[in-house]
Amino acid sequence: MEVTAVPWWVWPIALAAVGFLIGVVAVLAGIGGGVLFVPIVGSFFPFHLDFVRGAGLLFALAGTLAAGPQLLRNGMASLRLVMPLGLAGSICSVAGAIVGLNMTADLLQALLGALVIAIAIVIWSTRSAEGGLVDPDALARMLKLEGKFTDPAAGTRIDWKTHRTLGGFAAFGAIGFLGGVFGLGAGFANVPALNLLMAAPLKVAVGSSGLIISIINSSAAWVYIHRGAVLPLLVVPAVLGVMLGSRLGARLLERVPAQLVRWLVIIVMLAAGVRALLRGTGLWI
Amino acid sequence: MQATYARWLDAATRVGFAISLVAFLVYVSGAVEPFVPLEQLPQLWTLSAARYAEATGAPTGWGWLGMLGYADFLNLAAVALFGLVTLACYARSVPLLFAEGERLQAFIALAQVLVLAAAAAGFFTGGR
Repeated sequence: MEVTAVPWWVWPIALAAVGFLIGVVAVLAGIGGGVLFVPIVGSFFPFHLDFVRGAGLLFALAGTLAAGPQLLRNGMASLRLVMPLGLAGSICSVAGAIVGLNMTADLLQALLGALVIAIAIVIWSTRSAEGGLVDPDALARMLKLEGKFTDPAAGTRIDWKTHRTLGGFAAFGAIGFLGGVFGLGAGFANVPALNLLMAAPLKVAVGSSGLIISIINSSAAWVYIHRGAVLPLLVVPAVLGVMLGSRLGARLLERVPAQLVRWLVIIVMLAAGVRALLRGTGLWI
Repeated sequence: MQATYARWLDAATRVGFAISLVAFLVYVSGAVEPFVPLEQLPQLWTLSAARYAEATGAPTGWGWLGMLGYADFLNLAAVALFGLVTLACYARSVPLLFAEGERLQAFIALAQVLVLAAAAAGFFTGGR
């Protein structure tokens, strides 16, 4: 059966199901769901990549907006840290979105495939650092990139500072640009940039990463909306699916081995990346 | 200020989700006619965004604001609300930061408001 002959209503249901599964897996693996949505839907669904990327940006945006209030209230996200880095990422994401919407679909698909394979390798190889009290550079002192939070698991209060601020700006500029081009949330890159590069504690890095995605994707989403690259029939079911899936994922968090899920994510991303690469190069349409 | 941002974010996101869900149900139930019939979408969503707009006559930029009588554009407007949530929260934060004497952070927040407002206005994409 030709995919265009499949009734329209099958696709939103399939997207809601994929969104649900991504929601479960993303929470268990500790990554943003946005990074899974575009490669999976772009490789295995019939939609043009323009619409998949538009939906991917809003998918990641809605998820991070929903999580933001709780992360801010419990001190896991620091607005002071997020604001300057989000601004750099936000400006670059607009440029990325414009570049992405002017590239051919085949080139984008091939580049997306290569990027997703690289991300899978990053997820596989990334380790975390504890962060904490480093010697802040002059820019970090000026921007007061520091804070404190209470870790309920350890029952301790952690005072933290960051350093390598210029490197952080460059990293978030690059992350924003790639996010705009490919319609990805970029939690996979935000967390190492905040934790390993700038020395923010891992929990603050994870929490602040979500908030930064909400800022970066807000700017890029408007470029896609204005270019007509957002089809609500693709966005809303996926968003609803991921919200329900995230809730289930949070409940399963204590029961499912995180390492197993992490490997599952890496395998799925490698499969989607290879599929996108082959599709983009015309080897497997 | 962080607490106020969290409160605004929470409220704006809840409103955005509720409106999106209602608009989506209106769209797929057929209660309001869409500009592009749902049955035709499987033939059209394989096209690029530019060719889709050409084939359907759907407007780009802010042109969709004049089409809110159609279910698909009503739904697009609802989804676009998500793009305004951060802008609203930042706009609320700017005066608070100035009042707290955090001038540098206030100017960063103001710059972010301008970037988001310019993106929303279509300044970068000819959307005006």
